[in-house]
Amino acid sequence: MISALFYLQYHSIKNRTVMRIKRLKQPKYLVGGIVGGLYFYWYFFRTFFGTPRGGRAFTLMPSPTDAALYESIGALVLLVILLMAWIIPHQRAALAFTEAEVAFLFPAPIGRRGLIHFKLLRSQTAILITALLLTLVTGGFRGNGWIHTAGWWIFFSILNLHFLGSSFARTMLLDRGITNWQRRLGILALLLLMAGVVVVWARQTMPAFDVSRLKNPDDIKAYAQQVLTAGPALYLLYPLRLVVRPFLAQNALAFFYALGPALLVLLLHYWWVVRSNVAFEEASVEASKKLAEKVAAVRSGNWQAAQKQPKRKRSPFKLHPVGPPAVALLWKNLISAGQAYSLRIWVSLAVFAVCATIGIGQVSGSSGVRPALGMIAAMLMAWSLLIGTQFLRQDFRQDLPLADILKTYPLRSWQLALGELLAPAAALTGIQWFLLILVLGLLWQPAAARLGWQSWLGLGFGAALVIPLLDMITLQIPNAAALLFPAWFQAAKGGGAGIEVTGQRLIFMLGQMLVFVVALIPAAALFAGVFFLVKLLLGTATAIPLASIAAAIVLAVEAAFGVVLLGWLFERYDVSAETAG
Amino acid sequence: MIQVEALTKLYGEFVAVNELGFEVKPGEVMGLVGPNGAGKTTTLRCLSGIIPPTRGSIHICGHDLAQDPIAAKQELAFFSDEPRLFDYLTVEQHLAFVARIYQVKDYEPVADQLLEELEIASKRTALPGELSRGMKQKLAIACGLLHAPKVIYFDEPLTGLDPIGIRRMKDSILKRASEGTAIIISSHLLHLVEEICSHILILKDGRKIAHGTLAEISQQFAAQSGETNLEEVFFRATSEAGKQSE
Repeated sequence: MISALFYLQYHSIKNRTVMRIKRLKQPKYLVGGIVGGLYFYWYFFRTFFGTPRGGRAFTLMPSPTDAALYESIGALVLLVILLMAWIIPHQRAALAFTEAEVAFLFPAPIGRRGLIHFKLLRSQTAILITALLLTLVTGGFRGNGWIHTAGWWIFFSILNLHFLGSSFARTMLLDRGITNWQRRLGILALLLLMAGVVVVWARQTMPAFDVSRLKNPDDIKAYAQQVLTAGPALYLLYPLRLVVRPFLAQNALAFFYALGPALLVLLLHYWWVVRSNVAFEEASVEASKKLAEKVAAVRSGNWQAAQKQPKRKRSPFKLHPVGPPAVALLWKNLISAGQAYSLRIWVSLAVFAVCATIGIGQVSGSSGVRPALGMIAAMLMAWSLLIGTQFLRQDFRQDLPLADILKTYPLRSWQLALGELLAPAAALTGIQWFLLILVLGLLWQPAAARLGWQSWLGLGFGAALVIPLLDMITLQIPNAAALLFPAWFQAAKGGGAGIEVTGQRLIFMLGQMLVFVVALIPAAALFAGVFFLVKLLLGTATAIPLASIAAAIVLAVEAAFGVVLLGWLFERYDVSAETAG
Repeated sequence: MIQVEALTKLYGEFVAVNELGFEVKPGEVMGLVGPNGAGKTTTLRCLSGIIPPTRGSIHICGHDLAQDPIAAKQELAFFSDEPRLFDYLTVEQHLAFVARIYQVKDYEPVADQLLEELEIASKRTALPGELSRGMKQKLAIACGLLHAPKVIYFDEPLTGLDPIGIRRMKDSILKRASEGTAIIISSHLLHLVEEICSHILILKDGRKIAHGTLAEISQQFAAQSGETNLEEVFFRATSEAGKQSE
């Protein structure tokens, strides 16, 4: 039976790899593959082939006492992860199978143990790839890199078995009438008991805890060393220390010495999992159905639907039946974006921003806190201009799977394009105006002293004016890409995996940056021209807002042209060709 | 109401619809039938403005779909085989949205009546994810009928409906036709087409191989055997067309 499961796993991987290689014949995957390959070579494999990077590789060469501390910290982290598996979940045990696997394997004469073996076998592929990637990230395969690979493999294999075993144990507890909350309380009580034992021991054997004595990181480290590497903590964390010890081994001898106990823990986990007699089939069928729905949603481009079941949301404003039709799309997409994007929330945020800047000014006085916060707000604002479009996707990127329905609407294509862009543009503008108020308020003192308060306010006015137009332009780039290269775009959203898909994402990001810069050049040139001319005649305070208005006009023309172009692209977007492909 | 002349749709060199011409008058129900890949869905998509035809003209209530798409689309409704809804809009939000898109002034009484008629009035605040397939279909129909279209296209209208839903759908189609709406139904269910369609158009490989009332088509293809059953006529018509093309 196991041989059949091996066969299935082997051929699934082989066919997937062959398919990936074959699809490199398509230019979009070939170019993506080249760019992705260069990216991986540059960041990871270069070190593997012996060309060291500028930075120092991640290596641990601690003293024996430090090694014990690191081991304890690793064990503590593992304890937290394992506790989460016991506390957070509330569902019954369900093994993740695809619908095809459910259809073929569940009615087949394969016992539960066989299905568990199949699941374990399949998870090993992902564990091995993760172990290799993490080794590359943490210093590559030079020197003792293989120890890290093996260490990661042991760590993730045990973690995987523990998650599976704990899901079975939770189901058994539910079957015996112990509710999720009773289980959680029990585990928390056990945790408190263990922590209590450690605290009591520390109070009895160590000097009284005094925060004032912990003046530098070495003091904290010494204290942690005392608590974790002696007394009850040492024994309570012992099984978990065995799991992380191979990864932290400094040489081959130490690794093999640590390997035996770690493998014993692994085998005990395996025994626990395969001996658990828990019915997981029904929950697995349900889980596979949900998985299939998610996959279908991702493949159809409806990434949002794949993430979670949408919740009922209030309308952001009352939509009257008569008026510009594009507003209907704004209204619809704001509902999709969520409750946070309503006028009431934005007004509240603006009031909060004003109060916060005044409050911070009074509390911090002349310290550097206020300008530092102002700089952070400015950086967030700049970042949101460049990256914000990736987070707010309530536009064509969301509606493309329903493009056929949009095309039946009695609307001009530019109206559709405008309506689709308005919601993310409005939401982004709201966020950026909020940050702008913070920037203006928090940097008021140094900026007003240097430029004069009139110029500073003029800059604020100019920024407020151009921000929505810049958002309209930046949003057009990913939308146009989605309409021009739907297959690329869907892959770029996470519909696939692999080096070529990473390459596609990189190309997409670079393209977006390039178009943004090109769109800014005419507006920046006009801003500079008007600014210097008006400054000579009327001074800086008048020059800044006037130059901003001139720049805003150029950006508005660019945005309008872009909307028409986007509409034209949508008109040419052949629904049947895309769905057929 | 619907006038189609020399409609042709090419995908590269593949001819999906070839020189198709027909007319559907007010109150007529035309059944569009044909084997898989005959071009039925492509034809309906061209007729509703979802995809542009490569050649030919389509007039909806006198408006050229290519030259005056807004006026033409204002008069039509298209119901695909799968109800196509926005996951995040409730039933009543769907109706409010569609009312604004089609500029339906005072839509609320009409929407209420449609929801009552379609028996989904109790689901006003439900999201599509909370509705059964039949309910979703009803919501899609309510949205499509809100602007009182004069032309309606159905692509496999009975898919996924239970026996009661099927009966209601047939009644609804006939009621709209009796009110003067021109209707086209694309379906593989020949007994449905035979039952409710006044006219039939048989397509094969994108070409029209028969068009007329059932009696006219029967006369053309089943004269020797005297059969008037659409199924028999369909097989004869499509096999004869196959022989001719060979």
